[in-house]
Amino acid sequence: MQPEVVIETRNLSKVYRDFWGRQKVRALKALDLEVRRGEVFGLLGPNGSGKTTTIKLLLGLLYPTSGQALVLGQDATQVAKNERIGYLPEESYLYRFLNAEETLDFYGRLFDMPRAKRRQRTADLIEMVGLTKSRRRQLREYSKGMTRLIGLAQALINDPEIIFLDEPTSGLDPIHTHEMKILIRNLQEQGKTILMCSHLLADVQDVCDRIAILHQGELKELGRVDNLLKVRDVTEIRTSGLSPAAQEEIRQVVAKHQGTVHSIGNPTTTLEELFVRVIEESEAHPGRRVRGEQFVELSDGEQG
Amino acid sequence: MVVENLQITPLMEWLLGAGWHQGLLWQTAGIVVLAILLTVGGLGLLTILRRSSDTPGQAVSMWVGSLFGVLSLLVLAAVALCSTAQTRAFLTDYIANPVFHVLAPLLGTEWSGGALYTWLAVAAGLTGIVYAVCWNSAIVVGGPLVGTRQCGAAVVGIFSDIARISLRRIFALAWLAVRESIRRRVVVVFVVFVILILFAALFINKDSLHPGQLYIQVVLNFTIGLAMLFAWILSALSLPADIRDRTLHTVVTKPVRKLEIVLGRVLGFVFVGTVLLAGIGVISYVFTVRSLSHTHQLTVEKLEARTLPGHRGTMLRGATSKSHAHEHEVTIIVRPDGSAAAEPVGNAKSASGGQAAGGSGNTWADRLDATVETRKDHTHDLYVSGSGDTAVYTLGPPVGQLQARVPIYGKLAFHDKTGADKDKGINVGDEWTYRSFIEGRTNAAAIWTFSGLREDMFPESRFPNGIPVEMTLEVFRTYKGDQERGVAGTISLENPETSKKVFLRNFSAKKFATDVQIIPRSFVVAGSDGRAETIDLFRDMVSSDGGLRIIIQCLEPQQYFGMAQPDLYIRAADSSFAWNFCKGYLGIWLQMALVIGLGVMFSTFLSGPVALLATIFVVICGLFSSYIVQLAGGSIVGGGPFESITRIMTQDNMTSQMAPGMQTNVIKAADQVTSLMLRYFAAVVPDVSNNDFVDRVACGFDVGPDLLTRCFLCEAAYLLPVILLGYICLKQREVAQ
Repeated sequence: MQPEVVIETRNLSKVYRDFWGRQKVRALKALDLEVRRGEVFGLLGPNGSGKTTTIKLLLGLLYPTSGQALVLGQDATQVAKNERIGYLPEESYLYRFLNAEETLDFYGRLFDMPRAKRRQRTADLIEMVGLTKSRRRQLREYSKGMTRLIGLAQALINDPEIIFLDEPTSGLDPIHTHEMKILIRNLQEQGKTILMCSHLLADVQDVCDRIAILHQGELKELGRVDNLLKVRDVTEIRTSGLSPAAQEEIRQVVAKHQGTVHSIGNPTTTLEELFVRVIEESEAHPGRRVRGEQFVELSDGEQG
Repeated sequence: MVVENLQITPLMEWLLGAGWHQGLLWQTAGIVVLAILLTVGGLGLLTILRRSSDTPGQAVSMWVGSLFGVLSLLVLAAVALCSTAQTRAFLTDYIANPVFHVLAPLLGTEWSGGALYTWLAVAAGLTGIVYAVCWNSAIVVGGPLVGTRQCGAAVVGIFSDIARISLRRIFALAWLAVRESIRRRVVVVFVVFVILILFAALFINKDSLHPGQLYIQVVLNFTIGLAMLFAWILSALSLPADIRDRTLHTVVTKPVRKLEIVLGRVLGFVFVGTVLLAGIGVISYVFTVRSLSHTHQLTVEKLEARTLPGHRGTMLRGATSKSHAHEHEVTIIVRPDGSAAAEPVGNAKSASGGQAAGGSGNTWADRLDATVETRKDHTHDLYVSGSGDTAVYTLGPPVGQLQARVPIYGKLAFHDKTGADKDKGINVGDEWTYRSFIEGRTNAAAIWTFSGLREDMFPESRFPNGIPVEMTLEVFRTYKGDQERGVAGTISLENPETSKKVFLRNFSAKKFATDVQIIPRSFVVAGSDGRAETIDLFRDMVSSDGGLRIIIQCLEPQQYFGMAQPDLYIRAADSSFAWNFCKGYLGIWLQMALVIGLGVMFSTFLSGPVALLATIFVVICGLFSSYIVQLAGGSIVGGGPFESITRIMTQDNMTSQMAPGMQTNVIKAADQVTSLMLRYFAAVVPDVSNNDFVDRVACGFDVGPDLLTRCFLCEAAYLLPVILLGYICLKQREVAQ
C-alpha cells in the first residue's frame, strides 16, 4: 500500500497582479503534484520557475489564483495545519536582535509549548545543529552557515511531520552542506516528509527520492531520481583489482558482442567527498598535512 | 409652414405628473429599486445555495454568508434612507420609533440616548456596509455561489480564530515587540524628556500668576508630545518592516492567528509605553513638586503693630521675604490673653505642630488669628515658636497650589430683569457666548440647582466651618468705577421643595478671581416678622431629595455678572493631588494606546510611511472633528470642498453667491455627497483629546471615577473595532507578496 499523500496541489495556478489588478507574471500554471509521507521531494528549476511560489502557496504565505493546495488534507491557508509543519526559508529570516536560545524559545512559545518542554527542546536542537558555544550570541553576529543552522533548528522546534526547506544548502560551505544532507536523511529515517526546493542539483540528487522540474511555472518532469537519471542504453560495471591485461580482455569481449567501450579508467569521487574526507582527517590528525601523493601511493598499492 | 406647439411638456412630468420630484418614492427611487433588487436577489440566492451546498462546512459557510449578506443589505438600505431629511423622517416614524417603544420597557424609557446602543448601532452599520461591499465584490469576481461561500467562510473563520487565540502566543509576540522597541532605542524618548525637564526652568515664565498650572501643563504637554511621537512611529513602522524583511514569514508559518499578531504588537507597544510613562510620570511629579516648593521668611521687625479698638487685641501686618518672584502679605491679630475668637480664622500653627483653634488656649499660637495672603493660587501656614516680642514666625510650604478639587455641579438657570425664568442670561456683545450675563440692581439672577446633597457628605471633621462654595464670575463693567474694588453681589439660598429663600451675605466679585464662600451649617437671619431666625442648612434649606438652590445677583446698577454652569460649584472634597496627577498620565496613556492601535491597524495593509501618514491624518481629523461637522453641516462660509476649490480657482470671495447654472448644480450636488461622507467620517473618527485631562489636572480639579471609566469604555469602543479591522486586513493580505 502506498503511503498517504500529505501534500497535494490540484490545478494550482498563481498569477501576480499589480495594484490595478492587471496581470504581471504568471508564476505557476496548473500544477498537479503529490508528495507522499516519508519521502524527500525535490522541486527543481531555474530562477523564476515557480519553486518558491509553490512552497509559499503550500505554506499559506500566498493565496492561489485558482486551483487548490492541500497540506495534510487541509487547505494550505488553514492555520491549524501549521502545528504539524516546519519551514526553513531561503535566507533564514530571523530576528537578528535575538540570540539562539531566545529565538528557539520564541518560536516554541508560538506552538504553545510549556516552558519546561521548550527549554529541553531548545537545548536539544542547539546541540543537534552544533551551536552550543554560540547560543548566547545575537544572530546578527552569526555567519551565514550558522544562521542557516539556527533556521533549521527553528523549523524543527515542534517536531513537525512535514518540513519545507527552501534552498537549504544555499550559502553553506561543503562541510555544512554535507551535514545538512545527513540531517535531511536522518529526518527522513524518522518518518518525516521533506519538500525542498533548490537549484543546486548535486545536493538534490544526493538526498531526494523524487523530484519535480519546473520551468516558467509549468511542471516539465516528475519522477524518482534514480529512474530519471538512469541512462538506459549504457551499462556500467564497477570493479577493483583489474590488471591492464584484464582490462584489454574485457574490451575484446565487449567488441565481440558488438558493444562499444566508452571508457575504462579510474572513476572519480566527488569533490565534496574529497573535501569532507580531508577535513575529517585533518581534525583527526591535527598538524599533519594530507598530501596528494599519498593518494597516488595508495592507488599504486591497490593496483599493485 | 407654421410649426405649432413648440413648447413640449418635460418627459418625466408627462410620464409621472407635475411635482413628481417631490414624491418620497421618486426621491429615493434609485435607492429603493437597488435595495429591492438586492434583497430579492439575496433571497433567491438563499434558495439556490441550499441546493448547491456540499460538505457541512460549506453549508455553514453558505448560510452564514447569505445571512450576513441579507443583514448587510438591510443596513445599506437604512443608511441610504438616512441620506435625506425626508427619508430620515420616514425611517424614524415607521421603523425607529416602533422599535424604540417596543424595547423601552426592557431597556428604559430613554434607552436610545445611551452610548452603548449608539455604539452597537454604528458598529452594526459599519459592519454591514463593509460586508456588503466585500460580498458584492466577491460575487463579481467569483460568481454568486463562490462569492457567498467565500464571504461566509471568512466570517466563520473570523469567529473560529477569535475562539482559538492563545494568550501564550500573544504574550510571546508582545515580548518580541518589546525587544524590538528596545532595539529601536526607545529609551531615547526618556532621555529627551529628562533633558527637556532639566532645561525647562530656563523658559518657564516665573512671573506667571498660576505657576502650579504652568508647571503641570508643561510637563504633561511635553509627555503627550513625546508619547504620541513614540507611539506613532513605532506602531506604524514595525509590521511593515517585518513584512519587508520577511521575518514575518517564519511567524506566520507557525500556528499563529493574525489576530494574535495584531494583539501582540499592540500589547507589546502599550507595555513599553506604559513603562516609559511611568518613569516620565515619576520624574514629572518630583520636578513639579520640587520646583513649586518654597517658603518665605517673616521677620518681626518688618511687622507693623497697631492696637485694635474695643480691646480686641493687637494687629501685626507686614510682608514676607520674596521667593519665586512673589511675596505674601501677612496679618496677625494677637487676641488678648484668655479671649476666644468669634469664628476660627486664619491658619496659625505652633511650631510643634499644634493648630490654633481660636479657642481660649494657653499657648501664644492659640491667641493668634493669622492670615497669609493668597498669591499665585497658594498661601502658607504660619508657624510660630516662642511668644510675645521674642516670637519667631516662619511660613511653611505652599498650601493650595497643587490640589484636586472634587466639585459638585448644579444646573444653571436664569431670571431676567423682570424675574421671569430664562434658559440663558443676556449677551453683552461678547463673541464668545460661553457665559451669559445678569444685570445689576434688577431681579435678574443666576440660579444653580444642586441635587443629591446629604449631610454625611460634609462631615464636621472635614468641613468644620461649613460647606465651601467656589465661584469664578466674569464681571462686565459699563463704567469703570474702582477697579481695585470688586463688584458687589449677593448670595442667597432657596429650598426647591418648600421655596424657602434666605439671604446669606454680600460678596465682592473680581473678574476671573475665584471666590470661596462658606455656607455655614447653622446661621441666623432676620425672619419675616423681624425676629432673628436660626436656619439649619440641611434641615431647612436642603430638600428631602437633596436639592438646594444657590442664587447669585449683582447689586451694582449698570454692572453685570457673567457665568456658565461650571463657574459655581460646591467643593465637596479634595482628592489626592498625586493620585490626580497619575490620572492625568492615565489620560495620556489612553491617547497613546489609541494611536498605537491605529498605527498597527494601518500598518497591516499599508507600507510604513503611508501608515505613518494615515495614522496622523486620522488623529488630526479626530482633533478637528467638530470643525469637520460644521463644515459638513454647511455652517461654515464658503461651501463644501468642491465649492471651495472652485472659489479658490476663480478667486471668488467666500460669501458671494455662485452663478446659477449646470456647473453650480454639479458642484453643489458633489458637495452634498462629500458632506454626507464627512459627517459620517467625523462621527466615527476618534478624538484623542477626549482623554486629555491636562487642563483639569492643571486647574486643580479631580478626574472623577465616572469620567475615567467613561474614557476607558470609549477607548475600548474604539480599540476593539480597530484591532478587528487590522486583523481582517492582515488575514486577507498575502504576507509574501
